[in-house]
Amino acid sequence: MRLAPVDYLILSLYFVFVLCIGWMVKRKVATSADFLTSGRSVPVWITSLAFIAANLGAQEVIGMCASGAKYGIMTAHFYWIGAVPAMLFVGVFMMPFYYGSRARSVPEYLKLRFDEKTRALNAVTFAVMTVFSSGISMYALGLLFQLVLHWSFTASVLLSAAIVLVYTFLGGLTSAIYNEVLQFFLIVLGFAPLAIFVVMKTGGWSGMASRLPAVMTHTWTYTAKASENPMGVEVFGLIAGLGFVLSFGYWCTDFLVVQRAMAAESMSAARRTPLIAAFPKMLMPFIVIVPGVAALALSHMALGYSIPLKPDGGPDYDQTLTTLMAQFYPSGMLGLGLTALMASFMSGMAGNVTAFNTVWTYDLYQGHIRKHAPDSHYLWVGRVTTIVGVALSVGTAYLASHFNNIMDFLQLVFGFVNAPLFATFLLGMFWKRATGHGAFSGLLAGTAAAAATHGLTIAENKGGWLGATLHTFPSSMAQNFWIAIFAWSTCFLVTLVVSLMSQPKAESELHNLVYGLTEIPHEDVPWYKRPTPVALIVVAALVLLNVLFW
Amino acid sequence: MSDLRVTIGGFFVLVGAIVGVTGLVANYHARLEPANVNLDCGLSMLLFGAIMLWLAWRKSR
Repeated sequence: MRLAPVDYLILSLYFVFVLCIGWMVKRKVATSADFLTSGRSVPVWITSLAFIAANLGAQEVIGMCASGAKYGIMTAHFYWIGAVPAMLFVGVFMMPFYYGSRARSVPEYLKLRFDEKTRALNAVTFAVMTVFSSGISMYALGLLFQLVLHWSFTASVLLSAAIVLVYTFLGGLTSAIYNEVLQFFLIVLGFAPLAIFVVMKTGGWSGMASRLPAVMTHTWTYTAKASENPMGVEVFGLIAGLGFVLSFGYWCTDFLVVQRAMAAESMSAARRTPLIAAFPKMLMPFIVIVPGVAALALSHMALGYSIPLKPDGGPDYDQTLTTLMAQFYPSGMLGLGLTALMASFMSGMAGNVTAFNTVWTYDLYQGHIRKHAPDSHYLWVGRVTTIVGVALSVGTAYLASHFNNIMDFLQLVFGFVNAPLFATFLLGMFWKRATGHGAFSGLLAGTAAAAATHGLTIAENKGGWLGATLHTFPSSMAQNFWIAIFAWSTCFLVTLVVSLMSQPKAESELHNLVYGLTEIPHEDVPWYKRPTPVALIVVAALVLLNVLFW
Repeated sequence: MSDLRVTIGGFFVLVGAIVGVTGLVANYHARLEPANVNLDCGLSMLLFGAIMLWLAWRKSR
């Protein structure tokens, strides 16, 4: 792929605007709360778009297009049965406790609701995971630009990291959130035309479908048996594993996204943040997945396009998106498409850095190292942590480039840690009898159950390291879903049993933390600003999409 | 926050103009797409940017 001067002009212009936003926001930052939680003052349309953009990293964009080519439109389950129902749940049911408790982070909620050890466990694992995931996505981006544009790995990694560092250092969370909104629009306007061009080229939706096996253009029809679809999953594993445990675990408890809603200006705005975000979120498959599906149809058309190959001869689906851009975008739009890719990477990275910042400063530093310093000290710590967080991410990116297997292993471990979390929050928020000992032992047991499931089963030659193989899954996706199901159930049961055996907190300490002891303020707003009606509209649209693409 | 609308609107007006003008003057063609991609997408972005600026202006009045 060769770029013209106009492509570089667009990329540079984007960098200038990104830095300008950081500069503009800088004067609003006076306290650590401004820097780390945006002082709870951001309008709802901004938090909503940031809510999805923070998750819309480069790996998401590239990976969803790749999965579209590999698994077809079934990939949309990650949105239509996964993300969107979970976003509705966090907005309608969980946000009153997150926002109402006045906690500054998700781990801090755990401290208020349970105890210090549960918070420390969650804060440490979360901090480690954010650094590694931003490093891994930085590595993926550097590799892609090296492959496609022959840019130096070091140059693209350092340049993008430096820009993210400058704007998050200047304006903290507000700057990251404002930039995420620009990034969101750039991603949509940069990739939507591609989806339209590619699908038109294959003869519109029906033309595209006629060139593909039927399983590639249906979401539910072929899920009765795992052997019928390329994902290798059946309907129960899909709904319980992906739809319930994994998606709710991520969207309802991951501070990276929840932080955006907690920055909103009022309780009603915080609750509506994920609900409003659900509308663009449910349309994202058309922008990020459909081009991948269409690419597969295109490769059957004798136009000289084929899915790129790896050196070992297997398909390299991760390059689907960039090869499509090279075929359909001339210089000009090509620069914008690459800028959008860069933007998706930056939004993901800034999301990680700002979440890491807050958890480190408030939950670990203020919670354990220096408890009673003046606020200006924590503001200073927050700024320094930004630099440290970016530096650690860059270090991880280099680690990934040298030890690829370590990264596979780490991602596996993160899956073990994340899967049981939603059980802890569900019990914590809706059962006042749940205790700190229960939550802590439940989390550990859930993680152990995840590891044991992986160790005792095999899928695509992965797992089975505990010696015995109790079950063989048709795909590693199915294995992941079932690991999540076992981890969640174990965490749920252990938390339940241990809670019943230990001393509960007094009810007076649980106000604004648990259902039944929290008064949800009645705000006098028109119906379209109330969470329940908005959620019902989302549900109706969601049902429609599932039926249309059944 | 009308400030952010101005920034985003400004960005897309500029980029839309650059891409659109590229479509008018330069003879860049994509291998598989016969349409003038730059002109079409440039104008769309210009329109989007203008709407953002109009929303900001309406709010500030």
